[in-house]
Amino acid sequence: MDSLLLATAQAANVTTAPGKAQVLFFWLFALLAVGGSAFMITRRNAVAAVMSLVGTILAVAALYVMLLAHFLAVIQVLVYAGAIMVLFIFVIMLLNKEEDEPWALRGLLGKGVAGLGLAYLVARMVSVLWSVGTRVGEEPWSVEQMQSFGSTRDVGRVLFSTYLFPFEAVSIVLLIAVVGALVLARPMAKREGK
Amino acid sequence: MTDLFWDLSISHFLALAAVLFAIGVVGALMRKNALIVLMSVELMLNSANLTLLAFARQHHDVKAHALAMLVIAVAAAEAAIGLAIVVGVFRSTRHANVDRLTTLRH
Repeated sequence: MDSLLLATAQAANVTTAPGKAQVLFFWLFALLAVGGSAFMITRRNAVAAVMSLVGTILAVAALYVMLLAHFLAVIQVLVYAGAIMVLFIFVIMLLNKEEDEPWALRGLLGKGVAGLGLAYLVARMVSVLWSVGTRVGEEPWSVEQMQSFGSTRDVGRVLFSTYLFPFEAVSIVLLIAVVGALVLARPMAKREGK
Repeated sequence: MTDLFWDLSISHFLALAAVLFAIGVVGALMRKNALIVLMSVELMLNSANLTLLAFARQHHDVKAHALAMLVIAVAAAEAAIGLAIVVGVFRSTRHANVDRLTTLRH
Protein backbone atom coordinates (compact mmCIF):
# COMPACT_ATOMS: atom_id res chain seq x y z
CA MET A 1 0.00 0.00 0.00
CA ASP A 2 2.89 2.30 0.73
CA SER A 3 4.44 1.75 -2.66
CA LEU A 4 1.08 2.77 -4.08
CA LEU A 5 1.24 5.93 -1.99
CA LEU A 6 4.76 6.58 -3.22
CA ALA A 7 3.68 6.10 -6.81
CA THR A 8 0.89 8.65 -6.46
CA ALA A 9 3.27 11.01 -4.68
CA GLN A 10 5.79 10.69 -7.46
CA ALA A 11 3.13 11.21 -10.10
CA ALA A 12 1.67 14.29 -8.50
CA ASN A 13 4.92 15.42 -6.87
CA VAL A 14 2.94 16.84 -3.95
CA THR A 15 1.86 15.72 -0.50
CA THR A 16 0.66 12.22 0.24
CA ALA A 17 -2.92 12.46 1.36
CA PRO A 18 -4.32 9.07 2.35
CA GLY A 19 -6.42 7.38 -0.25
CA LYS A 20 -9.78 5.79 0.51
CA ALA A 21 -8.21 2.35 0.68
CA GLN A 22 -5.73 3.49 3.31
CA VAL A 23 -8.48 4.96 5.45
CA LEU A 24 -10.52 1.79 5.17
CA PHE A 25 -7.49 -0.28 6.10
CA PHE A 26 -6.90 1.95 9.13
CA TRP A 27 -10.42 1.31 10.39
CA LEU A 28 -10.12 -2.41 9.67
CA PHE A 29 -6.91 -2.73 11.66
CA ALA A 30 -8.17 -0.45 14.42
CA LEU A 31 -11.24 -2.65 14.75
CA LEU A 32 -9.06 -5.76 14.78
CA ALA A 33 -6.81 -4.28 17.47
CA VAL A 34 -9.62 -3.13 19.76
CA GLY A 35 -11.70 -6.26 19.17
CA GLY A 36 -8.72 -8.55 19.73
CA SER A 37 -7.72 -6.85 22.95
CA ALA A 38 -11.29 -6.80 24.26
CA PHE A 39 -11.50 -10.51 23.37
CA MET A 40 -8.22 -11.10 25.20
CA ILE A 41 -9.28 -9.68 28.55
CA THR A 42 -12.63 -11.51 28.51
CA ARG A 43 -11.46 -15.05 27.64
CA ARG A 44 -11.55 -17.74 30.28
CA ASN A 45 -9.20 -19.95 28.31
CA ALA A 46 -5.64 -18.59 28.41
CA VAL A 47 -4.70 -20.02 24.99
CA ALA A 48 -7.61 -18.19 23.36
CA ALA A 49 -6.43 -15.02 25.11
CA VAL A 50 -2.91 -15.45 23.72
CA MET A 51 -4.24 -16.04 20.21
CA SER A 52 -6.37 -12.90 20.30
CA LEU A 53 -3.38 -10.95 21.61
CA VAL A 54 -1.39 -12.21 18.62
CA GLY A 55 -4.14 -10.86 16.36
CA THR A 56 -4.04 -7.51 18.17
CA ILE A 57 -0.25 -7.33 17.81
CA LEU A 58 -0.38 -8.10 14.10
CA ALA A 59 -3.01 -5.37 13.63
CA VAL A 60 -0.84 -2.90 15.56
CA ALA A 61 2.12 -3.89 13.35
CA ALA A 62 0.02 -3.02 10.30
CA LEU A 63 -0.72 0.36 11.89
CA TYR A 64 3.03 0.84 12.39
CA VAL A 65 3.45 0.41 8.64
CA MET A 66 0.82 3.12 8.10
CA LEU A 67 2.92 5.39 10.32
CA LEU A 68 5.91 4.63 8.05
CA ALA A 69 7.68 2.58 10.74
CA HIS A 70 8.50 -0.39 8.54
CA PHE A 71 11.48 -1.60 10.52
CA LEU A 72 9.59 -1.52 13.80
CA ALA A 73 6.64 -3.32 12.24
CA VAL A 74 8.93 -6.20 11.32
CA ILE A 75 10.54 -6.18 14.79
CA GLN A 76 7.06 -6.14 16.33
CA VAL A 77 6.01 -9.24 14.42
CA LEU A 78 9.29 -11.06 15.11
CA VAL A 79 9.64 -10.22 18.79
CA TYR A 80 6.04 -10.02 19.96
CA ALA A 81 4.06 -12.34 17.74
CA GLY A 82 7.04 -14.68 17.46
CA ALA A 83 9.12 -14.84 20.61
CA ILE A 84 7.03 -13.44 23.47
CA MET A 85 3.84 -15.22 22.49
CA VAL A 86 5.66 -18.57 22.18
CA LEU A 87 6.98 -17.95 25.70
CA PHE A 88 3.42 -17.36 26.92
CA ILE A 89 2.19 -20.52 25.20
CA PHE A 90 4.96 -22.53 26.86
CA VAL A 91 4.10 -21.20 30.31
CA ILE A 92 0.41 -21.96 29.74
CA MET A 93 1.44 -25.48 28.77
CA LEU A 94 3.34 -25.79 32.08
CA LEU A 95 0.49 -24.56 34.25
CA ASN A 96 -2.68 -25.13 32.28
CA LYS A 97 -5.45 -24.49 34.73
CA GLU A 98 -8.77 -22.92 33.86
CA GLU A 99 -10.01 -20.27 36.21
CA ASP A 100 -13.21 -21.01 38.11
CA GLU A 101 -14.08 -17.32 38.17
CA PRO A 102 -12.01 -15.17 35.82
CA TRP A 103 -13.01 -11.73 36.98
CA ALA A 104 -11.70 -10.35 40.25
CA LEU A 105 -15.01 -9.09 41.61
CA ARG A 106 -14.11 -8.59 45.25
CA GLY A 107 -14.22 -5.01 46.43
CA LEU A 108 -16.60 -4.06 43.64
CA LEU A 109 -17.21 -0.58 45.08
CA GLY A 110 -13.56 0.39 44.92
CA LYS A 111 -13.28 -1.03 41.45
CA GLY A 112 -16.38 0.89 40.36
CA VAL A 113 -14.77 4.11 41.58
CA ALA A 114 -11.56 3.09 39.80
CA GLY A 115 -13.55 2.40 36.63
CA LEU A 116 -15.18 5.82 36.75
CA GLY A 117 -11.77 7.40 37.28
CA LEU A 118 -10.41 5.42 34.34
CA ALA A 119 -13.31 6.49 32.10
CA TYR A 120 -12.68 10.13 33.06
CA LEU A 121 -8.96 9.72 32.42
CA VAL A 122 -9.51 8.15 29.00
CA ALA A 123 -12.01 10.85 28.02
CA ARG A 124 -9.53 13.57 28.99
CA MET A 125 -6.68 11.75 27.27
CA VAL A 126 -8.63 11.30 24.03
CA SER A 127 -9.75 14.92 24.05
CA VAL A 128 -6.16 16.13 24.49
CA LEU A 129 -4.86 13.75 21.84
CA TRP A 130 -7.69 14.73 19.53
CA SER A 131 -6.57 18.34 19.59
CA VAL A 132 -3.29 17.32 17.89
CA GLY A 133 -5.30 17.05 14.71
CA THR A 134 -2.62 16.93 12.02
CA ARG A 135 -3.96 15.11 9.00
CA VAL A 136 -1.96 12.16 7.81
CA GLY A 137 -0.24 13.25 4.64
CA GLU A 138 -0.88 16.90 5.28
CA GLU A 139 2.79 17.38 6.06
CA PRO A 140 4.89 18.12 3.00
CA TRP A 141 6.92 14.97 2.48
CA SER A 142 9.37 14.72 -0.32
CA VAL A 143 9.50 11.34 -1.96
CA GLU A 144 13.05 10.74 -0.67
CA GLN A 145 11.97 11.54 2.87
CA MET A 146 9.09 9.17 2.63
CA GLN A 147 11.28 6.38 1.30
CA SER A 148 13.94 6.72 3.98
CA PHE A 149 11.77 7.54 7.02
CA GLY A 150 11.55 4.60 9.38
CA SER A 151 13.80 2.42 7.26
CA THR A 152 16.38 0.15 8.87
CA ARG A 153 19.15 2.53 7.80
CA ASP A 154 17.53 5.60 9.37
CA VAL A 155 16.63 3.88 12.62
CA GLY A 156 20.05 2.22 12.81
CA ARG A 157 21.83 5.51 12.28
CA VAL A 158 19.98 7.10 15.21
CA LEU A 159 20.29 3.99 17.35
CA PHE A 160 24.05 3.71 16.91
CA SER A 161 24.89 7.40 17.26
CA THR A 162 22.58 9.43 19.50
CA TYR A 163 21.16 6.47 21.41
CA LEU A 164 24.25 4.29 21.56
CA PHE A 165 24.42 4.30 25.36
CA PRO A 166 20.72 3.38 25.91
CA PHE A 167 21.12 0.69 23.28
CA GLU A 168 24.08 -0.87 25.11
CA ALA A 169 22.31 -0.44 28.45
CA VAL A 170 19.23 -2.25 27.17
CA SER A 171 21.41 -5.12 25.97
CA ILE A 172 22.69 -5.47 29.54
CA VAL A 173 19.08 -5.37 30.76
CA LEU A 174 18.30 -8.26 28.40
CA LEU A 175 21.32 -10.21 29.66
CA ILE A 176 20.23 -9.70 33.28
CA ALA A 177 16.69 -10.75 32.31
CA VAL A 178 18.01 -14.00 30.80
CA VAL A 179 20.07 -14.81 33.90
CA GLY A 180 17.25 -13.75 36.22
CA ALA A 181 14.67 -15.87 34.39
CA LEU A 182 16.98 -18.88 34.63
CA VAL A 183 17.54 -18.36 38.37
CA LEU A 184 13.83 -17.79 39.08
CA ALA A 185 12.56 -20.72 37.05
CA ARG A 186 15.02 -23.25 38.43
CA PRO A 187 13.40 -25.97 40.54
CA MET A 188 12.98 -25.05 44.21
CA ALA A 189 14.67 -28.15 45.65
CA LYS A 190 17.91 -27.58 43.77
CA ARG A 191 18.12 -24.00 44.95
CA GLU A 192 17.61 -24.99 48.58
CA GLY A 193 20.10 -27.83 48.25
CA LYS A 194 22.92 -25.42 47.49
CA MET B 1 -19.35 12.08 11.07
CA THR B 2 -18.19 11.19 7.58
CA ASP B 3 -15.37 13.73 8.04
CA LEU B 4 -14.40 11.93 11.18
CA PHE B 5 -14.32 8.72 9.22
CA TRP B 6 -12.53 9.82 6.06
CA ASP B 7 -10.16 12.55 7.28
CA LEU B 8 -7.52 10.31 8.74
CA SER B 9 -5.41 12.25 11.21
CA ILE B 10 -2.61 11.53 13.66
CA SER B 11 -5.27 11.94 16.34
CA HIS B 12 -6.99 8.80 15.09
CA PHE B 13 -3.86 6.80 15.87
CA LEU B 14 -3.43 8.54 19.23
CA ALA B 15 -7.04 7.94 20.26
CA LEU B 16 -6.78 4.30 19.23
CA ALA B 17 -3.64 3.96 21.35
CA ALA B 18 -5.47 5.53 24.32
CA VAL B 19 -8.35 3.06 23.92
CA LEU B 20 -5.95 0.10 23.72
CA PHE B 21 -4.15 1.37 26.83
CA ALA B 22 -7.47 1.63 28.70
CA ILE B 23 -8.38 -1.94 27.71
CA GLY B 24 -4.97 -3.03 29.00
CA VAL B 25 -5.54 -1.24 32.31
CA VAL B 26 -8.94 -2.89 32.72
CA GLY B 27 -7.42 -6.30 32.00
CA ALA B 28 -4.55 -5.78 34.44
CA LEU B 29 -6.88 -4.62 37.21
CA MET B 30 -9.83 -6.95 36.76
CA ARG B 31 -8.39 -10.32 35.80
CA LYS B 32 -7.21 -12.87 38.34
CA ASN B 33 -5.01 -14.99 36.11
CA ALA B 34 -1.43 -13.72 36.39
CA LEU B 35 -0.73 -14.65 32.76
CA ILE B 36 -3.56 -12.47 31.48
CA VAL B 37 -2.38 -9.63 33.72
CA LEU B 38 1.06 -9.91 32.08
CA MET B 39 -0.51 -9.94 28.62
CA SER B 40 -2.44 -6.77 29.50
CA VAL B 41 0.85 -5.12 30.49
CA GLU B 42 2.27 -6.09 27.10
CA LEU B 43 -0.77 -4.54 25.44
CA MET B 44 -0.22 -1.29 27.35
CA LEU B 45 3.44 -1.16 26.26
CA ASN B 46 2.29 -1.73 22.69
CA SER B 47 -0.15 1.16 22.81
CA ALA B 48 2.58 3.40 24.23
CA ASN B 49 4.70 2.45 21.24
CA LEU B 50 1.85 3.29 18.88
CA THR B 51 1.66 6.77 20.43
CA LEU B 52 5.41 7.23 20.04
CA LEU B 53 5.34 6.27 16.39
CA ALA B 54 2.34 8.49 15.67
CA PHE B 55 4.19 11.49 17.08
CA ALA B 56 7.31 10.41 15.18
CA ARG B 57 5.36 10.61 11.93
CA GLN B 58 3.88 13.96 12.86
CA HIS B 59 7.24 15.52 13.69
CA HIS B 60 9.32 13.78 10.98
CA ASP B 61 11.54 12.53 13.79
CA VAL B 62 13.05 9.09 13.55
CA LYS B 63 14.44 9.30 17.12
CA ALA B 64 11.14 8.01 18.50
CA HIS B 65 11.67 4.84 16.47
CA ALA B 66 14.88 4.18 18.43
CA LEU B 67 12.97 4.74 21.67
CA ALA B 68 10.20 2.38 20.55
CA MET B 69 12.84 -0.22 19.75
CA LEU B 70 14.21 0.10 23.31
CA VAL B 71 10.66 -0.22 24.68
CA ILE B 72 10.20 -3.47 22.76
CA ALA B 73 13.47 -4.81 24.21
CA VAL B 74 12.42 -3.88 27.76
CA ALA B 75 9.02 -5.49 27.14
CA ALA B 76 10.74 -8.71 26.12
CA ALA B 77 12.86 -8.64 29.29
CA GLU B 78 9.74 -7.93 31.37
CA ALA B 79 7.88 -10.85 29.80
CA ALA B 80 10.77 -13.26 30.47
CA ILE B 81 11.15 -12.23 34.13
CA GLY B 82 7.39 -11.99 34.71
CA LEU B 83 6.73 -15.44 33.31
CA ALA B 84 9.61 -16.89 35.36
CA ILE B 85 8.06 -15.35 38.48
CA VAL B 86 4.64 -16.78 37.54
CA VAL B 87 6.18 -20.24 37.10
CA GLY B 88 7.99 -19.90 40.45
CA VAL B 89 4.80 -18.81 42.24
CA PHE B 90 2.88 -21.65 40.63
CA ARG B 91 5.51 -24.11 41.85
CA SER B 92 5.19 -23.07 45.45
CA THR B 93 1.43 -22.32 45.67
CA ARG B 94 -0.08 -24.52 42.88
CA HIS B 95 -2.04 -21.61 41.48
CA ALA B 96 -1.43 -18.38 39.57
CA ASN B 97 -4.28 -16.33 40.98
CA VAL B 98 -3.19 -12.81 41.83
CA ASP B 99 -6.10 -12.31 44.24
CA ARG B 100 -5.01 -15.23 46.40
CA LEU B 101 -1.41 -14.09 46.65
CA THR B 102 -1.72 -12.18 49.91
CA THR B 103 1.45 -13.25 51.72
CA LEU B 104 2.85 -9.74 51.82
CA ARG B 105 -0.45 -8.20 52.93
CA HIS B 106 -0.34 -9.45 56.52
